[in-house]
Amino acid sequence: MSWRKVLIGVILGGLLLIAGVERAFDGQETGSVTGDWLLLHMLSDPEQLNPLTSNDAGASSILGYIFQGLLTRDPRTLELKPLLAESRPVISADKLTYTFKIRRDATFQDGHPLTGEDVLFSIKAIKCPLVNAPFLRVYYASVVDAELVDDYTIRFVTKEPYFLNENVLGGIDVLPRHYYDPDNLLKDVTVRELNRETSRQPDNSKRFADHFNKSYNRRPMGSGPYKFQSWKTGQEVMLVRDQNYWGNGKRGIDQPYLDVYRYRIINNPDAALVRLKSGGLDTMNLQPLQHLRQTRSKRFQKDYQKLLYFSPGFTYIGWNNALPIFQDKRVRRAMTHLTNRKQMVKAILFGLGKVIDSPIYRFRPEYDESLVSIPYDPQKALGLLGEAGWKDTDGDGLLDKVIDGKSTPFRFEIKFNSGNTIRKSVVLTLQDELKKHGITVTVRQLDWTIFLDDVRNHKFDAMVLGWAMSVNEPDAFQVWHSSQADNKGSNMISYKNSRVDKILEDYRREFDPKKRSELYREFQRILHDEQPYTFLFMGRSISAVQRRFQGVKVLPIGGLRPLEWWVPRSSRKYSSKITAQ
Amino acid sequence: MAVNRAGRRGYWSHVWRQFKRNRLAVGGLYVVLGLLTIAVLADLISSDKPYYMRYRGIDYFPIFRGYLVKLGVTKWPPELLNVNYKELGTERALFPPVPYRPDGIDLTAPFADPSLGHWLGTDKLGRDVMAGIIHGARISLSVGFVSVGISLLIGVSLGALAGFFGSWVDLVISRVFELMLAIPTFFLLITIAAVMPPSIFLTMAIIGLTSWVGIGRFTRNEFLKIRNLDYVTAAVALGVSSRSVMFRHILPNALAPVMVSVVLGVAAAILVESSLSFLGIGVPADLVTWGSILNEARSNTFAWWLAVFPGAAIFVTVLAYYMVGEGLRDALDPRLRGSEG
Amino acid sequence: MGRYILQRLFLFVPTFIGITLISFLITHLAPGDPAELLAGGGLGAGVAAGISVEKRGTVDQALAEWRAQFGLDRPLHVQYGVWLKNLFTLNFGDSFKDNQPVAGKILERLPVTVKLNILSLLLVYLVAIPLGVYSATHSYSFGDQVTTFTAFVLFALPIVWAGTMAIVFLGGGDFLYLFPPGGLTSIDYSPEWPLWERLKDQAWHLFLPVVLLSYGGFAGLSRYMRTGMLEVLGQDFVRTARAKGLSESIVIYKHVLRNSLIPMVTILASILPGMISGSVIIETIFSIPGLGQLGYQAVLARDYPIVMALFTVSALLTLLGILISDILLSVVDPRIAFGRRQS
Repeated sequence: MSWRKVLIGVILGGLLLIAGVERAFDGQETGSVTGDWLLLHMLSDPEQLNPLTSNDAGASSILGYIFQGLLTRDPRTLELKPLLAESRPVISADKLTYTFKIRRDATFQDGHPLTGEDVLFSIKAIKCPLVNAPFLRVYYASVVDAELVDDYTIRFVTKEPYFLNENVLGGIDVLPRHYYDPDNLLKDVTVRELNRETSRQPDNSKRFADHFNKSYNRRPMGSGPYKFQSWKTGQEVMLVRDQNYWGNGKRGIDQPYLDVYRYRIINNPDAALVRLKSGGLDTMNLQPLQHLRQTRSKRFQKDYQKLLYFSPGFTYIGWNNALPIFQDKRVRRAMTHLTNRKQMVKAILFGLGKVIDSPIYRFRPEYDESLVSIPYDPQKALGLLGEAGWKDTDGDGLLDKVIDGKSTPFRFEIKFNSGNTIRKSVVLTLQDELKKHGITVTVRQLDWTIFLDDVRNHKFDAMVLGWAMSVNEPDAFQVWHSSQADNKGSNMISYKNSRVDKILEDYRREFDPKKRSELYREFQRILHDEQPYTFLFMGRSISAVQRRFQGVKVLPIGGLRPLEWWVPRSSRKYSSKITAQ
Repeated sequence: MAVNRAGRRGYWSHVWRQFKRNRLAVGGLYVVLGLLTIAVLADLISSDKPYYMRYRGIDYFPIFRGYLVKLGVTKWPPELLNVNYKELGTERALFPPVPYRPDGIDLTAPFADPSLGHWLGTDKLGRDVMAGIIHGARISLSVGFVSVGISLLIGVSLGALAGFFGSWVDLVISRVFELMLAIPTFFLLITIAAVMPPSIFLTMAIIGLTSWVGIGRFTRNEFLKIRNLDYVTAAVALGVSSRSVMFRHILPNALAPVMVSVVLGVAAAILVESSLSFLGIGVPADLVTWGSILNEARSNTFAWWLAVFPGAAIFVTVLAYYMVGEGLRDALDPRLRGSEG
Repeated sequence: MGRYILQRLFLFVPTFIGITLISFLITHLAPGDPAELLAGGGLGAGVAAGISVEKRGTVDQALAEWRAQFGLDRPLHVQYGVWLKNLFTLNFGDSFKDNQPVAGKILERLPVTVKLNILSLLLVYLVAIPLGVYSATHSYSFGDQVTTFTAFVLFALPIVWAGTMAIVFLGGGDFLYLFPPGGLTSIDYSPEWPLWERLKDQAWHLFLPVVLLSYGGFAGLSRYMRTGMLEVLGQDFVRTARAKGLSESIVIYKHVLRNSLIPMVTILASILPGMISGSVIIETIFSIPGLGQLGYQAVLARDYPIVMALFTVSALLTLLGILISDILLSVVDPRIAFGRRQS
C-alpha cells in the first residue's frame, strides 16, 4: 500500500514532472532516433483512464504521457517551466491573480488547435461538483474564478496568497473541450456558479457530469506525445507515439523517441520477473529479493542494467501525542531509542533503504543537514523512561507509573494496515523489543479502510503509516499544524506546538525560497527534538532496464524517465507496425 | 436398534472393534492423538526458557516457574526479569529440544536455511519455523474443535427441530438449510474475515457459523427416520414430553452418524483456517499459524522451507482426520461403507 | 411435474431474498467506508504534492459528495429496496471503483473462470470415472485400496500448499521452470498465432491451475461412482444379463456403466456453482483475472455492488443447480417421488 501511496504522491506532486515533455533542446544526446517499443510492467489494471476521475498510480503514469498542463517542471532542476503556456504566469501584486498566455501552436492529438477555451473548460470540469473527482477538486478549492481575457489568455483568481498556487494552476491537465464536452454544456456555466453546492447547480452542469463520469473512462485524448491505442483488461494498455505531436522538433519541448509503450499487466511480481528474463518485458521494478537473489546471473547482467534510487516516501511510527503516555517527549524519545532502525533497514528492507529523521526529502534544499540520527540505545531509553516516571515498582517485569493515584502498567496498542509486509515486520519487531524491556504492546492489523477511519478519528495509541515526500517545494502544514488535528485533518497524532504553527503559516505566505528554507530547517529541528513520530526509513527502488535502451538515467530526485530513452537503429528489437489511428 | 444403556455400550464396543480393524484409521487416530499431545505440551517442546538451569549457584526451573507466575502464585526473581536466558551466562542449563518461542524475532538471522540451529529454518524476521509449527498445532486444533463445536450446536438443534416436528417447522428450517447451501460459503467467509478486525475467535465463529449445514441436514434425516420407529411412536403415545423424546430417545441414536461429520468437519475447519491465513486475513498479525508461514513462502519463493513444512503439517493433520472420519463411518454402519456422505 | 417445479420455484423466493439480505447487511454494515478508501489516495497525495488542502472540511464535503453520488447516504432499507428493484431489470449497479456497470465487469471475467472450471470438471470426470469403475469391479482388492487411499491423500492435500509448492518448485523461481508462475497467456501471445501455437500456449498456462482445481474432486467422485456401480451390480437385471451368458465386459460396460453414469450427471449441477467460488484461491495464487479474483479484490476495496452481484449470481446458479438435479434425479429414478429429497 505504501508504495502505491508514494507513487500517487510522486505523480500528483510531480504531475508535470512525469507528464512533462520538457527537455533542453541543446542537451539532446547525439544519435537519438525514434523507433522501437518499450514493454513496461504494471501490477494491476488502471481503474480508469479519465484524467480527472482516475485516482490510482497506474493510471496517473499512463495519463502523464497523454495529457499536459500549462507548466511543467524540469526533471533535473525541478524549476517550473512553460509547456502549453508561452511563459510562466503574470502574478498580480496582491498574489491573488494569475494570468497565463497559451501557446498558439499546440494542438490535440486529433489535430484540433488547443486554445484558452480548452483550459477554461478543464478548470470548469474539475470544479463541477457532480464530476466524480472530489479528491482532485480539493486541491483546486482555492480557485475562486477563471475567465478568458482573449482566445489565448486565461486569468485565474485565487482565494489567498500561497506560493504553491502557480504550481497548482500550472498542473491542470488541459482536456479538449470538443471531445469531452461535445455539446458545449459548460459554455455558459461560470466557475463561480460551479463553486456552489450540488443542489444549486444549473441543469447543464448535471448533464455534463453524467456524461463525463461515464463515457470517457477508457478512451483518453489529450495533447501529449503519446496517443492512447488500446486497453485489454487484465492484459495490457498500449500507447503509440503521435506522429503529428505538436511539440515535434520544437525548441524547449521534450522529444519522444520510442514508438510504442505497452504496459503489460501482471499481478504477480515473480511472474513478471520470469517474463522480463524471457524478453517479455523491457523494464520493471524489482522487489528487494528479486534484486538480491534472482537477478545476479551473468546472463541477466548482460541483458539488463539495474538502477537503484531512493523513493521519495517514508515509513514512520506515529505516537498519539494526545495520549497521557505519549504526551511526555522523553517517552517518545525513548521509543525512538528502542527502535533499531538500522537493523530494520538491514533485515526488513534487505539493506535497500536509509534511516531518516525528518519529513523533508533529503535532496531538497529545505532539508536540515544538521540533524543527528537518534541511535538504538535501550539503556538510554530506560533512563529516559525512568526520568518520566516509568519503572518496574512491583517486580512483575513490567514498567509502571502512578497515574491519577493508580499504578498503571506501560501498555499500548499499535495499529497498522493489513497487506503491508514491511509495516507488519516493523510492528512485530518493535513489539518483541519492547516486550524485553517490560512494555506490553498489542498489535492490531486492520483493513485499510478501517485503519484509515480509526487513524483519522485519533482512535489509536500508536500506528505505523507512510507519507510520500514531495520532491517539489514541500508544504507540511496539513500534517503538522495544530488546526489539522481537530478537524480530522492529516495531523492524526494531534501534534500541537505553537512555534511550529507559526512557522507553517509564515512559510505558506513566503515567496522567497531562501527564507522558506530557513523556516523549515527550524521546524525540522523542533520535530527532531520532540519526536512526535519515530521516523523510520525511506526505501530504495530498483529498476531493471533492457540494455538496448540508451539515455537511461536516474534523476537526481530519484526515478527514471522513459520519455528520454531511445534505441540505436542497430539494436532495434521491434519495428513499429502499429501506428496511431 | 438398541435403546437401553447396556445395549448402547454393546453398540459402541462393536463400533470400536470395527474401527480397530481399519489400519489406516487407527494410524490416523495415532497421528491425531500425537498432534493433540504436541498442542498441549507445546510450551515444553518449544520455548526460549530452559527446563532447568543453574545461575550464580542457584537452581531454577524457568519454564515451570513461568506457569506459576502466570497463575499468580509466585513472581520472577529480579535477576530473571525480562532476561534472555541464552545470553545470561548460566553455569548449567537444559533447554527444550526447540529452544525458541514462535514469535521470538531475531533480525540478525532472517531466512536461515534449515540447520542444526534451526531445524526447519527461520522466516523473514528470524523466527524459528519449527517453533511456529509446534505452537501452530495448538491454534490449528483449537480452531478445528471450537468451530466444529459451534456448527454442531447449530446444526444439531436446527436439524433436530426440523426432523422431529416436521410440517411447517421443517419447511421453514429447510429454507434456512437451502439458504446456507446456496450462499457461496467460502466467499462469505472471506468477506467477513477481510472486513472485520482479525481475531482468532472471530475466525472460529465464522467458520462455525458457515459450516453447520451438513450436520444439520444429517441430523434432520436421522430424526425423520428414527421418529417413525416403533419405540419412539410408543414413547410419544405414552405421553412422554417432546423434549424428553427428542433428547433422551432420539438424539443419542442420531448422533452416531453425525460424529463422522464432526471429525471431517474438524479437518475442513483446519483447511479453511489455513486458507484464510494464507490470504493474510482472519488471524492477528502476531500470531504464527501454519497458514501464515505458508503465506510468507508466496512472496519469498527461494525459501522453500517456508512452503514445505507448514504445508506438510496441514496436510498430515487433515489426512489423519479424514482417515479417522472414514474409519468411523465404516465402523458405525457397514452398510454405509463406500458411500458418500 | 410442472406443479412441482412451480412449487420449488416459489420456495426459492424467500431463500433468495434471505441470501441477498444477508450479503447486503454484511457488506453495508461492515466497518470501513469505501469513500474513505478512495479519499486515502487523494489525501496522502496532497501532502506529498505540497498542495494545500484548505481544511479537512473540504475533504469531508468531498466524501459526502461521493456518497451521495452512489446513494450511500440513504437509509439502509431504502438502499436495499433500490438494489432489489434494479435487480429485476438485471441492473447490478455501477462499480465504485471505475463507475462501470457491474454486469459488464462480470461478463468480462466470466469466460476465464468458466473455462478454468469446465476444464477442471472435465478432468475430474475423466479421471474419477475410470477410477471408480476400477474400484467397483475390483472392490476390496489391493488395487482398490491403493486407489481409494491415493484419492484421499489428494483430497486432503491443501490447495494453498499444493499451489505454493507448484510455484516455488515448478514456476521458474530458484528451482525448475516447467510452468509459468501465473497468467493466462504468454506475454507476446497474439491472436495472429497459428491455432496450434495458441492452444499450446494456453494449455501451458492453464495446466497447473486446472490440475490444482481438480485433484481434490477425484476422491469424492470416484467413490460416488464406485458405490453407484456396486449398487447396480447387485441388481436383478445384471444377474439376468450374466445368466443369459453375456460376456463380463459387455455386462459391465454396456449395462452397468450406463446405468451408474446417470447419477454422476445429476451431481454435475450441484458441483458447478460451488467451483466458481472455489476458484478464489487458485486465481489469487496464479494471478488469473477471473471472477474469484474480481470478488476478492472487490471485498478488499469495499466495492459493494460487485460483491453483491457475485453473491447473487452465485446463489442463483446454486438454486438452479439444486432444481435441475432434483428434476434429473426424479427423471432418472422414478422411485424418488416429487417430494422432499432425502439426504
